[in-house]
Amino acid sequence: MSSELKFTKEHEWIKIRDEVAIIGISDFAQEQLGDIVSIELPKPGSIFRQGQTMAIIDSVKASSDIYAPISGEIIEVNDGLIEKPEIINQSPYDSGWIAKIKPSNIEEFESLMTKEKYDRYIGEIE
Amino acid sequence: MKIIFEYEEEKNTGHIQEEEEEDICIELPSDIVREELPIPNVNEIDVVRHYTNLSRMNFGVDIGFYPLGSCTMKYNPKVNEDAARAEGFSNLHPLSPEVCTQGSLKLMWELKEYLKDITGMDDFTLQPSAGAQGELLGVMMAKAYFRHKGEKRTQAIIPDSAHGTNPATASICKLETITVPSDSRGNMNIDRYREALSPEVALVMLTNPNTLGLFDENTIEISDLAHKNGTLMYCDGANMNALLGITRPGDQGFDMIHLNLHKTFSTPHGGGGPGAGVLGVKSFLSEYLPVPQVVKRDSVYSLDYTYKKSVGRVRSFYGNFGMHVRAYSYIHSWGTNIRKISEHAILNANYLQSLLKDTFDLAYNRQCAHEFVLSSKRFGQKSALDIAKRLMDYGFHPPTIYFPLIVPEALMIEPTETETKETLDRFVLALKKIRSELKEDPEMVKQSPLSTPVGRLDEVAAARRPNLRWRPSQRQTKVAVNEKSP
Amino acid sequence: MDYIPATEKDIREMLNIIGATSINDLVREFIPAFSGKLNLPQPKSELELIRHMRSLAHTNKVLRCFVGAGAYNHYIPSAVSHLLARGDLFTGYTPYQAEMSQGTLQAIYEFQSFICLLTGMDVANASLYEGASALAEAALLSCSYTGRDRIFVKEGLHPQYLEVLQTYCEGAELTLSNRIDSNTACVIAQNPDFYGNLENLHYLAEQAHRVGALFTTCVVEPTSLAILEPPGKYGADIVAGEGQSFGIPLSFGGPYLGFIAVKDFLLKKLPGRICGMTTDSRGNRGFVLTFQAREQHIRRERATSNITTNQALMALAATIYLALMGKSGLTRVAKLSYARAHLLNRKLERANFRTLNSKPFYNEFVVKVPGSAEELASTLLKEGILGGVNLGENNLLICCTEMNSVQDINDFYSVVAGD
Repeated sequence: MSSELKFTKEHEWIKIRDEVAIIGISDFAQEQLGDIVSIELPKPGSIFRQGQTMAIIDSVKASSDIYAPISGEIIEVNDGLIEKPEIINQSPYDSGWIAKIKPSNIEEFESLMTKEKYDRYIGEIE
Repeated sequence: MKIIFEYEEEKNTGHIQEEEEEDICIELPSDIVREELPIPNVNEIDVVRHYTNLSRMNFGVDIGFYPLGSCTMKYNPKVNEDAARAEGFSNLHPLSPEVCTQGSLKLMWELKEYLKDITGMDDFTLQPSAGAQGELLGVMMAKAYFRHKGEKRTQAIIPDSAHGTNPATASICKLETITVPSDSRGNMNIDRYREALSPEVALVMLTNPNTLGLFDENTIEISDLAHKNGTLMYCDGANMNALLGITRPGDQGFDMIHLNLHKTFSTPHGGGGPGAGVLGVKSFLSEYLPVPQVVKRDSVYSLDYTYKKSVGRVRSFYGNFGMHVRAYSYIHSWGTNIRKISEHAILNANYLQSLLKDTFDLAYNRQCAHEFVLSSKRFGQKSALDIAKRLMDYGFHPPTIYFPLIVPEALMIEPTETETKETLDRFVLALKKIRSELKEDPEMVKQSPLSTPVGRLDEVAAARRPNLRWRPSQRQTKVAVNEKSP
Repeated sequence: MDYIPATEKDIREMLNIIGATSINDLVREFIPAFSGKLNLPQPKSELELIRHMRSLAHTNKVLRCFVGAGAYNHYIPSAVSHLLARGDLFTGYTPYQAEMSQGTLQAIYEFQSFICLLTGMDVANASLYEGASALAEAALLSCSYTGRDRIFVKEGLHPQYLEVLQTYCEGAELTLSNRIDSNTACVIAQNPDFYGNLENLHYLAEQAHRVGALFTTCVVEPTSLAILEPPGKYGADIVAGEGQSFGIPLSFGGPYLGFIAVKDFLLKKLPGRICGMTTDSRGNRGFVLTFQAREQHIRRERATSNITTNQALMALAATIYLALMGKSGLTRVAKLSYARAHLLNRKLERANFRTLNSKPFYNEFVVKVPGSAEELASTLLKEGILGGVNLGENNLLICCTEMNSVQDINDFYSVVAGD
């Protein structure tokens, strides 16, 4: 199963590829954070509920929680970000992916925002 | 400028030369002895020049105006330095018998009495080394208090304007932070506060005046509600410079308060310490204070270790005694006139606020205490940072820009009472000029500071490719062109 | 004395701009208004003040010092206090605005480097309050890193340091345990220990690592590092301790200088401030506070420590001391401290004092007094000598440094022999 890109109010993006959900943060988020200097990644095998903090991103002047957009088990994390966290700034939707989750409740995905909705959302909060 | 490790010199004589110690034999097993000691030998004249030249790249209160909000950068009286350097104070070993330390013990005891009186508290400990440690001690004492009462309380209420240390302290002691938003007048939102109060809440941590420079108009109601709920009231006393002789936190309902001797009581900031974060408490919490406590019986002073419910020690020995001497000396200098300090701190802040409220936006349209917050949000993201950097070119240290987090592009300005009106007027002129520059030549402002030994530093590189200590394999990078070589 | 420069005219003009009639208008909302009288001393002129302070200081008696136990009487070269008295070094705040604080920042970088070179570790922070709380921070760090909550402490730790650990553990809900097992976050050992004993602790480091715990060495007398194997070489993951021996006066117990240094893998968990080298836009070398995202003012609830102030001026004193003494001076201090302690120890043994140290010692040792330790202390006191720390059971903990001349040692001995 594949899907389009969806977004959370907390600026995470998520897409499904072959029944695995891939997660990252949006371009808006990386811009707000500024230059990212490090990331605390979750451990593969750990389980998260939707909305639980699963990673922490530190930029020069801020520290931000990244929340699990849906519930599930972490199957893979992007270890390359540890050495080069700046990839998230450079390519937030592609090589800056953060983690892959096996969703435990696929219905949660449906309630997330589409790209159009998300773009409108950030237009409002800016 | 070289780094001290870049000097490669021979050294013949040292500061300690005794005739008979030509060849001291160290008879220690070879598996505990060091092979080599990789620290440099540098001749005294070069060491003195090195650190003198380093100091000339610094800015301090002794150089110019330093309106760093929440830090109270007032003038540090030099007589306090002389007092602290007296041999009887500076060369005294802390484990000397009490018959030899009566001068120091008396000083500490009297200092506690003065601080009790000034804050309206019943007892004090001088042990904590900094405000943050005073807070940590306070939270530990609160936990001990509830443990003895048989109550398990796991939360702390903290306003969103609070300095980051408050929630950090709470979390280290495994208390959950309940953040209460501030209202449009800068007070903690009293309705949301009422909702948050529950039997789970161990303490409320307030700074008063708060980091917005505002006295919370509901303080007494907040205390009454807390006490009815069995919750303790903790005061972060960082802003005590606004209250001396005017009102007392103890009378406002606070059960605990930490003071920063390096803020209100003029002990020098030292470039980031040492400070002293003494903690005052109401009598029902006295028995939990750390040991030893300085006590007085007849006219003899001694160290009392018998507080049975004491939470223990938070550091070795008795506290930053050197800073106690300076604070004590400062209080003796002012004595009963101490109210004048706060009156003038408040006068100077309100004067600046009145002059600057049309230059940048006032975060809260209210009379301020000893500091106030402006916002340069109108000039765009990162404008506060640009203004701060440009102020350096005008010979001023910037105000605080990193908090409070609830004001975007914040400039927190605290002039203190020791500045002349003339300095304040020059500062206003500089900010007005910078405002024009932001409109007419914003690129230049973004490039500032232009007149300091180094320009804006690459903080991202510092974090991504850290170089945190010297390694012999390093080579010197290019030295600034306008620097005189050492 | 009054440090307020505002004249009556200034006050009137300022009030006018503010739109208030009196200063009292400005403080009306600070309630409840204090209407009593503060029980404070009479204000003093500078002359009266310095007289008062000097007379208070004179009430103290500074003795010839044969005590260490966490505070060491070493020689401080004159240049240290003269440099430290420069207003541009001691009247500034934490260097958050790096461009105006390159002096402080470079000095911190040099301090961090000195600590790493002395301890054999990879990275050190910009200093902590003092040794005991630095050790407590090491314990907190270990628990945060390993996710475990038990601390093992080898006996021989300074009793005050143990007390502070207990207080912090109680507050942070951690436990001191007497086992090294899979629940242990950290194994702590002081070297030289409280009694002066020296040991190569690599076996303890191995024990810790075998169960996945971190090994922390606590150094309370750091001049010892001039001649001893650095902890980084024998397996320490963390070194925490007290830097007061480096150019900082005894000052009745404070301000002192805590330090903490770790191996690279623990960098992200290091508490407090850290200074790093970088460049500016013109390519010049410069220094900034870095990794601030770990700190309380950013991490807030998530911070692993709540430290704000460090001990910048004390770290600067230590840096200047180490630069002035250099390798040869520091080695001389260590060798002399060792030699004088061993000289006194030999003389005391001749007077029937029994040395209780089970291992070789550096500059501190424990002896059993043939008779009453309390009476001996009294007699020594009459001669102006602080002769040691009474540990109970007539055991005395005695320390010597390069400040104890051969004459001082002979005087100590004559009191003892004359007994």
